[in-house]
Amino acid sequence: MESSSAQPTDTNPSPSGASQFLTNLPSRGLFSSTVISSNPGGMRVYICDHNTSPPDDQHIKTNQQNILIRSLTLRKQKGDSSSKDGTEGSRKRVAEKVLDSRASAKRTNNQVNSRQEGSSTQTSNRDFQSLTVERLRALLKAKGLSVKGKKDELIARLKGANG
Amino acid sequence: MSIWNYVVTAHKPTNVTHSCVGNFTSPQELNLIIAKCTRIEIHLLTPQGLQPMLDVPIYGRIATLELFRPHGEAQDFLFIATERYKFCVLQWDPETSELITRAMGDVSDRIGRPTDNGQIGIIDPDCRLIGLHLYDGLFKVIPFDNRGQLKEAFNIRLEELQVLDIKFLFGCSKPTIVVLYQDNKDARHVKTYEVALKDKDFVEGPWSQNNLDNGADILIPVPPPFCGVIIIGEETIVYCSANAFKAIPIRAAITKAYGRVDPDGSRYLLGDHTGLLSLLVITHEKEKVTGLKIEPLGETSIASTISYLDNAFVYIGSSYADSQLIKLNLQPDAKGSYVEVLERYVNLGPIVDFCVVDLERQGQGQVVTCSGAYKDGSLRIVRNGIGINEQASVELQGIKGMWSLRSSTDDPFDTFLVVSFISETRILAMNLEDELEETEIEGFCSQVQTLFCHDAIHNQLVQVTSSSVRLVSSTTRELRNEWKAPSSYSINVATANATQVLLATGGGHLVYLEIGDGILTEIKHVQLEYEISCLDINPIGENPKYSNLAAVGMWTDISVSVFSLPDLNLITKEHLGGEIIPRSVLLCAFEGISYLLCALGDGHLLNFLLNTSTGELTDRKKVSLGTQPITLRTFSSKNATHVFAASDRPTVIYSSNKKLLYSNVNLKEVSHMCPFNSAAFPDSLAIAKEGELTIGTIDDIQKLHIRSIPLGEHARRICHQEQSRTFAICSLKYNQTSNEESEMHFVRLLDDQTFEFISTYPLDTFEYGCSILSCSFSDDNNVYYCVGTAYVLPEENEPTKGRILIFVVEDGKLQLIVEKETKGAVYSLNAFNGKLLAAINQKIQLYKWVLREDGSHELQSECGHHGHILALYVQTRGDFIVVGDLMKSISLLIYKHEEGAIEERARDYNANWMSAVEILDDDIYLGAENNFNLFTVRKNSEGATDEERGRLEVVGEFHLGEFVNRFRHGSLVMRLPDSDVGQIPTVIFGTINGVIGVIASLPHEQYVFLEKLQTNLRKVIKGVGGLSHEQWRSFNNEKKTVDARNFLDGDLIESFLDLNRAKMDEISKAMSVSVEELCKRVEELTRLH
Repeated sequence: MESSSAQPTDTNPSPSGASQFLTNLPSRGLFSSTVISSNPGGMRVYICDHNTSPPDDQHIKTNQQNILIRSLTLRKQKGDSSSKDGTEGSRKRVAEKVLDSRASAKRTNNQVNSRQEGSSTQTSNRDFQSLTVERLRALLKAKGLSVKGKKDELIARLKGANG
Repeated sequence: MSIWNYVVTAHKPTNVTHSCVGNFTSPQELNLIIAKCTRIEIHLLTPQGLQPMLDVPIYGRIATLELFRPHGEAQDFLFIATERYKFCVLQWDPETSELITRAMGDVSDRIGRPTDNGQIGIIDPDCRLIGLHLYDGLFKVIPFDNRGQLKEAFNIRLEELQVLDIKFLFGCSKPTIVVLYQDNKDARHVKTYEVALKDKDFVEGPWSQNNLDNGADILIPVPPPFCGVIIIGEETIVYCSANAFKAIPIRAAITKAYGRVDPDGSRYLLGDHTGLLSLLVITHEKEKVTGLKIEPLGETSIASTISYLDNAFVYIGSSYADSQLIKLNLQPDAKGSYVEVLERYVNLGPIVDFCVVDLERQGQGQVVTCSGAYKDGSLRIVRNGIGINEQASVELQGIKGMWSLRSSTDDPFDTFLVVSFISETRILAMNLEDELEETEIEGFCSQVQTLFCHDAIHNQLVQVTSSSVRLVSSTTRELRNEWKAPSSYSINVATANATQVLLATGGGHLVYLEIGDGILTEIKHVQLEYEISCLDINPIGENPKYSNLAAVGMWTDISVSVFSLPDLNLITKEHLGGEIIPRSVLLCAFEGISYLLCALGDGHLLNFLLNTSTGELTDRKKVSLGTQPITLRTFSSKNATHVFAASDRPTVIYSSNKKLLYSNVNLKEVSHMCPFNSAAFPDSLAIAKEGELTIGTIDDIQKLHIRSIPLGEHARRICHQEQSRTFAICSLKYNQTSNEESEMHFVRLLDDQTFEFISTYPLDTFEYGCSILSCSFSDDNNVYYCVGTAYVLPEENEPTKGRILIFVVEDGKLQLIVEKETKGAVYSLNAFNGKLLAAINQKIQLYKWVLREDGSHELQSECGHHGHILALYVQTRGDFIVVGDLMKSISLLIYKHEEGAIEERARDYNANWMSAVEILDDDIYLGAENNFNLFTVRKNSEGATDEERGRLEVVGEFHLGEFVNRFRHGSLVMRLPDSDVGQIPTVIFGTINGVIGVIASLPHEQYVFLEKLQTNLRKVIKGVGGLSHEQWRSFNNEKKTVDARNFLDGDLIESFLDLNRAKMDEISKAMSVSVEELCKRVEELTRLH
């Protein structure tokens, strides 16, 4: 392998050649024969005379619930759980998320500066997320902005006003 | 023709749309899996190359194909999603060699606008979920649980509406997608989202990048350690991740496909729209990306998919040309290319147009297609059957038999060719100049007809005549021994192998001799009850020189028997039924299975499975090969044994998948054949036909033969002219200069034998050839080529100007005779009552051919008919005109001679977007539309009201799953007027995927029978991945889905022949029809293509 990788640099000194990049192509020992032959037309047609239905629980269907209703129910559930656990629960979730994102950043070898950028915007975003719609509306009203729309829109509007 | 139609594939799809490499068939085996629209092919990678394993039909058009490895599995699973919103996960079971369905489901939504840029199906690299983008604004998630099982799918709202590509990012703790999209100002951006499986929603991802290259189209996720994504644009390539952004400019190109080379993702192969293959390299220091480099490698077919296989070998799958197996060389060749093409895999797609011709005038159609596109455009000559490449021929009348003999037992080549006539025997031999000349073998008796000849052991030759068996030395050529028949009887039939002779004399005497060194010994003699009509002792057992069995055909009781040798005991007797005597029997073995073939005097052939140890005959099958007596002979080609059945319709019998197949030979009436493998003509056959002896080689033994004529430009219309023996094509050539791309359009004339361009007429700038026709006009004996064109100007939505050009072929040149300007594109031209019928934009226009005073001609408008959106496809029959409209389905017009007017008679009120139409008979018209469906409509002349009469009734519907570009009446096979299938009219179609198919109109009785068979087959042959055949074949477009009717799926019906006996019995029981009868009826159908 070494001799072959040394060759192109010896005989082909021009840096523009692709040779330098074509060395050490992955090989697992296949296509190693000097005579590569294939026999076309010898392909057997698959006749599927066995049962092909999937296992009972692997017959996949799509959840038919409307996306909006689903997200509302999920939010309601979340609201229920947060009311039970108090605000601690939701704060914990935020904390978890931050931790998660940090862990993921480490794993993906993210660099510090970008993470900080990302996390700073995310934090402000999450701050708003943790507020209730009523609280957001109040903030918007204080700034003299429209209070109509979904929570996400409210947050966006608030963020727009902030900077 | 009729409304009961049978649709069958003659040439399978060859357009490669997807490919992937992984350990599918076993943890140790590496496979290449190729999707060809409605089929997948599984290949095995071996040190010797690609080894084909399986060709799997899929009941759907494959939209995505991915291999993935769920947690805890040793081998990869295959994920397939179809265009009709079905998906399945397949696993290979190496023990049973079956494809197991691990999961399947329907991922369609009731509402939602299908994506414009194709369906996207992706699998998270950590196998947490499958992501599907099928409808604008929705992203469907099928999550995996931690045991690798799939859970209920759900949709997530995706804000980006114009999505170009979505990929999963590697190395993220939460499954993260990167979305390449276009905003409403046509600017392109990428954005990342984390998929929150618990909340069933997206969370803003770690990064995004706005304002990319306007041509950015492909995302390549980069595996660890680098992670991130490469965005391929038309002018730049960008590497993007949370912490790095690198961009390089590239030569403007549209990248069509990519393939990852290294598992760490540092090198990629890119294929662009001109077929240039480049290597993209991520330069890095340790795990930090420092930049990108791109190097052109060389030219390949225009790739639609690229799979790096191993050891510098790469598979290039193409939609526009043959797919290729290439090798990347370390050193460039003389032209500076690092690419070496090692193998080409034929692809006929896209078939844009084709014509059916009979170039060799043998009564058999050949299809000449306009295939491929761009630089790889070509003509393909597709014909059924096996060709004989004639190498030498002599005139010889009245040949009664032929045998080849060697000059010594060990000689690998044949030297002598013994040709027997009614009252003499001539011996031909290769002389020193490699010419065939007459010679003599002194020991042979040449004044009488020879009944049989064979090489024998100890350098001897055997000749059997009506009076004796002569054993001759092949070295001295002298008689060594002779066995004389009793004077009262003459020998009628005889056969021999290297050590044995079996002969039959009058009175039903059967005599068995064995050959020794210089001696013939009579071993056994029996008298049978009837006269013997044919014999065979071809050795098929372990000893290639000695047979333990003899096959004997008999007169009177019409039977075939198997006797043991040497004691001549009867083992089995099989009565053949009917009144036609067996004329030729043959013992043979294919793929390790022994058969007894028995040919009758009326062109039928029976085959039985033969148990060589017990001599038992089972699994009787009967097929009709021709109408005249058949003589059977074995020969070998490419190390495989085949049988040649000489008759009025010569046929080669061969075996594939342990099934006997019959392929006709492209010769008329062959009376005798014998293999003649001489040094000068290796692997040749000597063939006696119509007063001629021919020596030739045989094509590869396969059903369809395809010859390729590369044009270097894209042929779009083709037409043949019998009188001038030429083809004319409309073609376009792409010229690529440094940064300008331009097209030039031509009308070209080609010789119909050599396929060389013999004349060219260049069209104007922006002028496209749209239609071509060879026809003659009333009161004029000349034959013309008529070409319809359109001026396609960049600023116009629809062409407003075109031309009709009339050419005559003079001295091999295209001479423009008449030119007529039109007010739109001439989409179709038809010869109509000695006039010319043109479809021009929304109008049908009839032109008269008028002689002017100066002797020249002109086209004069006679009448027309408005009322179409765009009249794209027109067919005529008598005074009727059938129009296929862009979006208004089929309408029927009639030309009224007296009034000189064209009127609408009836129409189909469905809104089908047509892609081809054809007239099946006076009342029934066939259409193909752009949702891959076929349908037939019927004229309702007996309707009670005008309203009823004005409606074309839809009588047949079928989902073909192929985009049909053209129908033509004709057949790929030789039609014998007295065979059953000879009466069935057929239409051939050609599609974008390179499919050539046949639609045959069946009599009602046969249709009902086959429909019942199809229903029963559906119960036995299941759809791979649990996909349903009934759903697959149901007519489907945006508006409706209805069950197929009055069309049968021939591919399913013909797979009956591939079933094992138990399954055949099951169907036979359900149908209350014998297996033999079912086989016979289905085998007859296979002869349609």
